[in-house]
Order: sequence, then structure tokens, then C-alpha cells
Amino acid sequence: MLMMSRRAGETILIGDRIEIVIAHIGRSRVKVGIRAPRDTPVIARELKLVREENRAAAGAGPVADWGGLLARLETSPQVSAALTDKDIARQEAAPKN
Amino acid sequence: MPSFDTKSFGRIAFETRDTIEFPRGLPGFEDRRRFVAIRQERARPLVFLQSLEDPGLCFITAPVLAVDPRFRLKMSEEDREAADLSSVRRPRIGKDVWALGVISVRETGPTVNLLAPLVINLRSLRAVQAVMRDSAYSHRHALPEPAEAVCS
Repeated sequence: MLMMSRRAGETILIGDRIEIVIAHIGRSRVKVGIRAPRDTPVIARELKLVREENRAAAGAGPVADWGGLLARLETSPQVSAALTDKDIARQEAAPKN
Repeated sequence: MPSFDTKSFGRIAFETRDTIEFPRGLPGFEDRRRFVAIRQERARPLVFLQSLEDPGLCFITAPVLAVDPRFRLKMSEEDREAADLSSVRRPRIGKDVWALGVISVRETGPTVNLLAPLVINLRSLRAVQAVMRDSAYSHRHALPEPAEAVCS
């Protein structure tokens, strides 16, 4: 992987059509400006993972073996603490009134 | 009362005010914005999130706290805005929002997406799939084997 050091305001070119500007450098985060052709999708990597994960989840079919899931949720030791009826009721408290 | 024909649950009737709205859709399903949460006593704590625009689209989800009791919600400003939570700096699960992890059933065992839970504003039912900030949570958090299997 090519590593480059840049200061705020400086730019990197990728090919002729993609420009990356280091817009702002904060303590733990940088703000990056990206100029790219319309047909080049630009997204955060996490978003791509989430998209793929959603598609996989939907593709499994809604009536997938949820009985098996239940066992995993109920008997899991780390779950029992939070799984009191009170917690669930709070989570399920829909604003009906 | 409006109703909708679904693949998994047949015809369901629902109150319009119970409709959960994702103004930006979900990543991969950007044009699916309206859902209802279906809960069944025997399926607790699972929540089925059924699309009202696609009969075949239904996510199996579980409250993130049922998966990880210590789960901490950290939302970006943009995500808070999408769920009508601009004024709530630190939304609390169960008080301000409902946080559901989407479950994928795969050959290697089921996983939950804790990197990006579905966060539903309990007051307005506006929702967003929020990618956690500065988070060590996985998009494929494994659901542990049932205890019996471990002991035998």
C-alpha cells in the first residue's frame, strides 16, 4: 500500500479524474473531500459491509430457522442479565398513547 | 385498518401510526422505507421487521441488548438527524430508541450485525441503520452456541 503524508488543504490525485483533498485534520478524525466522476461510487467501507450484510440477511428468507436462534439468545450466559421481562418491556414500549 | 400481504406471515393488519419509517431506506435497500415490527410471544425476543413495500422482504432482528447487554450506542450526527434525534445527543436504548441487530443465518452459524443496528426513535418511529462510530463492534457478531451443546 502506498503511504503519503499530507497536510490540511493538500490534494492527492488518483488517475486523471479522481481528486482527494485533505479538508480538515482533527484530533482523531480527518475530513476528506473527494471529487470523482459521477459513475464512480464513493462510500465509506463500513457502508459497503452493511449493504452486503443486509442483502445476505434478506436473502436467507424470512422463515429461516428462527427456532434455533431463540435457543442461542435465551441460553447464552451473557444474555440472561439483560433479558429480564422488564428490559424487554422497556425496549418494546411503543408510543401508543 | 390497512393491511398488507406478506410472504412469511400472510395478510397482516397494522395501524398506520405503528409504521416505522426509514427516510433513507436501508443500505442495499434504499427504496424500502416503510416497515412494521412483528413480534410473536413464542419468538421472543426476536423481532421481525417486515417491509410494507415488498412482501418478500423481512429481516429477522434481535434487540442488541439481548445479544450484548453492555452494548453502547454511538451515533453520528447525520444518523441522529435521519431518525429525528438531532436534539438527543446520547440516545438511550429503551428510553429514546429501540436498537435492533439484523440477524444473518449462514452455514457457519447465525451472526448479528452489531456494527450497524437499526435505531428506531420510540416517539416518532423514524429510524435509521446507524453505523457505529469509533466502535469495535462487528458486522458479523457470532451468536454463541446454546449452552447445552457447550456442556455435553
